[in-house]
Amino acid sequence: MATQSDSSPQIASLNEVPPPPGWMHSRELWRAFFREDRFFLVLSVFIGVFSGLAVVCFRYAIDWSRLYLLGTGVVLTPTRVLLAPTLAGLVIAVLVIHFFPRARGSGVNQTKAALYIYNGYIPFRTAIGKFITAALAIGSGHSLGPEDPSLQIGACLASALGRRMRLSRERMRLIAPVGAAAGLAAAFNAPISAVLFVIEEVIGRWTAGILGSVVLSAVSGVVVMRWFLGSEPLFRIPAVELRRPSELIAYAILGVVGGLASVVFAGGIAALRPRCKALPRWTQYFQPAIAGLLIGIIAMLGAPQVMGAGYEYIDQAMHGQFTWEFLAILAGLKILATLLSFVSGTPGGMFAPTLFIGAMLGAAVGGAEHYLLPHLTISPGTYALVGMGVLFAGFLRVPMTSVEVSGNYSIIVPVIVANTFAYVISRGLQPLAIFDLLTRQDGLDLPSMEEQREEDILHVEDAMQPVQGPVLDAGLSLDQALRTLDHSEIEHLLVRMRPNSWGVVTKEQVQQAAAAGNTSANVGSLLSEQTVPYLHPDLPLEVALRYVDRWPLIPVVSRANFGQLEGVISQADVLRRYREFGEG
Amino acid sequence: MLALLAALAVACFLLVTGLSRAYQDQRQSLGSRWFSRGEADLNAGRYDAAVTDFRASLLYSRENYAYQLNLAEALIGIKHLGEASAYLLNLWDRQPDDGLVNLELARIAVQQGKNDQAIRYYHDAVYAVWPRDQEFQRRTARLELIELLLRLNQAADAQSELIALEANAGDNPELQTQIGDFFARAGDFDHALAAYNTALRADKHNQAALAGAGQSAFNLQRYSLAQHDLQAALALNPKDTQSAERLKTAELVLQMDPYRRQISALDRNRLVMQAFATAGQRLQACSTPASALPLPATANADLNKDWAALKPRITARDLLRDPDLMDSAMNLVFRIERSTAGSCGTPSGPDLALLLISKLHEGNS
Repeated sequence: MATQSDSSPQIASLNEVPPPPGWMHSRELWRAFFREDRFFLVLSVFIGVFSGLAVVCFRYAIDWSRLYLLGTGVVLTPTRVLLAPTLAGLVIAVLVIHFFPRARGSGVNQTKAALYIYNGYIPFRTAIGKFITAALAIGSGHSLGPEDPSLQIGACLASALGRRMRLSRERMRLIAPVGAAAGLAAAFNAPISAVLFVIEEVIGRWTAGILGSVVLSAVSGVVVMRWFLGSEPLFRIPAVELRRPSELIAYAILGVVGGLASVVFAGGIAALRPRCKALPRWTQYFQPAIAGLLIGIIAMLGAPQVMGAGYEYIDQAMHGQFTWEFLAILAGLKILATLLSFVSGTPGGMFAPTLFIGAMLGAAVGGAEHYLLPHLTISPGTYALVGMGVLFAGFLRVPMTSVEVSGNYSIIVPVIVANTFAYVISRGLQPLAIFDLLTRQDGLDLPSMEEQREEDILHVEDAMQPVQGPVLDAGLSLDQALRTLDHSEIEHLLVRMRPNSWGVVTKEQVQQAAAAGNTSANVGSLLSEQTVPYLHPDLPLEVALRYVDRWPLIPVVSRANFGQLEGVISQADVLRRYREFGEG
Repeated sequence: MLALLAALAVACFLLVTGLSRAYQDQRQSLGSRWFSRGEADLNAGRYDAAVTDFRASLLYSRENYAYQLNLAEALIGIKHLGEASAYLLNLWDRQPDDGLVNLELARIAVQQGKNDQAIRYYHDAVYAVWPRDQEFQRRTARLELIELLLRLNQAADAQSELIALEANAGDNPELQTQIGDFFARAGDFDHALAAYNTALRADKHNQAALAGAGQSAFNLQRYSLAQHDLQAALALNPKDTQSAERLKTAELVLQMDPYRRQISALDRNRLVMQAFATAGQRLQACSTPASALPLPATANADLNKDWAALKPRITARDLLRDPDLMDSAMNLVFRIERSTAGSCGTPSGPDLALLLISKLHEGNS
């Protein structure tokens, strides 16, 4: 939480100039209004605007690259198909090795690293490098997408702005994800997905402060993008209709196939990327070129659809332009082409290829199911739409992001069914999520959001103990209390006060007060003014840590009835439980 | 600082706006170039090439209405109905009163067997806005709708569409002939004859209209008129076998009808005797076990008995002596022809003529 003390340096600097008389009141108001947390919100809008503008330019750059490198038509000439990605690969390698080493890869992990390791710092040069090399790679036909680079460009811009504004370290850490959300939202034309992705995959926690900034920047980014590029979705969405619930079985099959394909895709990256990185340094000059050449050969042999992001082909697959056999081949070839591009270190994203593979796989499974079971009424377009979500869930492990990208909320039930199967299979066979895998391969140890989500959390109920010994009423006289305590070996005793507060006394305190001849006084007179806080069984155990060092015994009460004692917890109980948990 | 940021944002915005203009201009130019190629290919019937061209044009202007519409038409040309339909539905969402989009959607629905949808789209096309040749385009849509309705045996709906069409058809002989054909298929021969006659007023040598008018008159049992029109049609096209056959039947009806006016008693009696003999032969032919569907035993027995009982009295002398005998004879003839037509197959030649004469005088009897 921000406090008054960490207000921004810009605002502090205003104090250095003596204000003219009469301005004092308005200056104070101005200062109060622009506390750093509010200033951060305003800055988020600017980050969104700048990121949106950068993404628009990035899109133009990709299109221009494609025009000049591959030609203007949809039918590509063999010479261009072979030469464009190969030569572009050579240029990209030189640029990445000599000028922009941080531009390599997708950009998601670099943004996460900025948050967790570099206090929000991403060099501005990375944005320039990413912009140039990714535009060249995607435009020349490398099988990569523009979304992850857009995310990184947004994060870089935000980081640069944050440094210029001399934000506090806490804000600086959060600024990269804010820019990332704007970049991704503008690239996807989907603000909700971007917010979900950044919160769940990059930041990893939901807090009101960061959520507001992320939403503002994402929305600003999308507004700017739509201003220049229009609001049409990435592809035409086919009519979706789930006529019979039994058709969900067909989607479940798609989920299984998608899960297995995700494992193959992620497994390929896991196996090939370290090997490519381990090759001699001089080979890195040729790796993107060789990847480009191989992709060119795939395209020349009859599958030019694998080149670039491929959104237009997703659109065609959704509208039944390909046979299911060819769709299956395209899905396989796209996995291969993306593996080649990505493991060679060519800068570019994996979101678009994932959507492509999912759409092709979905439509292929739909076509095959329709071939085997002609009574199924679902169109291949619907399968393609669900397939995209399946690969998001299985490969990227971000199941919720896909719904908005698909642009159709009526498909949510089939998406959930298929995504669940894909996620479970993928997680079972490939425990490490792709972004975590890349992080480990890069020698970093960033927190795994998926692991955090799946992590077992200890609760108060896991450590609390049953109440032993009597619970004294505050109105009880010391004489009566002493008689009650005669048969008890317990040292610390809970005292119930009306209406719902608690105290703790020791047996010794009661005995001493009684020995002093004050037997008509009640137990409440022995309590200090500060009452003992109470806990609930479902609270995280770490909450108990805040109190157990100050009180020997903390009551654990029911949420429905604060007077109903469920148990007690002490520092020893908490430490013992943590020790047991650590030992597994 | 915020003011500086705002100024920087405005400056960047202006810069990107300039860049965007250059980008959009280039894309527009490329899109137009590919679109022109596509149009040329589409007009030349090279649908595959047209699809590629229009796809390329859409790369540069994804939401361009004309590009999508033309791509849809090219896709229909190569029978990619699903994808064409997706494009057209997208266009329909944007402009539901576009005549061409509705018409193409209707055509696709017909090919996919979605007749209710097709009828709805055809209706929308008929009342839609057409940028050029509105009357012609609406008429085309309506004619296709009528064709579909007739194929679905929805004659009443087809007739109401035809009446609306006829009101705006003018005296175009081809169109009036087509309307006449549709009326005839809908079983409305009065309107069919009127449409053919309108066509003939504009072009009295229109063979199709003459043949249609003859057929309609025949169906309306106006055999003299049918004879006149069919003779004229055959004079223009002697190979028109259908008209020739109908003319022959019409002439037989006119010749064999004993109830026609301006005929001597002797001739009338002769026609009655001929009809009686013809019906007897038909009855015998249908009674033999060799016939495809012999008459039921009881009906056959009754008719044979009646015919045999009446036969000795069907002479010129008795017919002259007893004026009621002619009616009795012809009633039996009509009964025989109707019974045998129902059970022994469609008659031809004199039997068909007698059957038609029976229908002609149904009310009188």
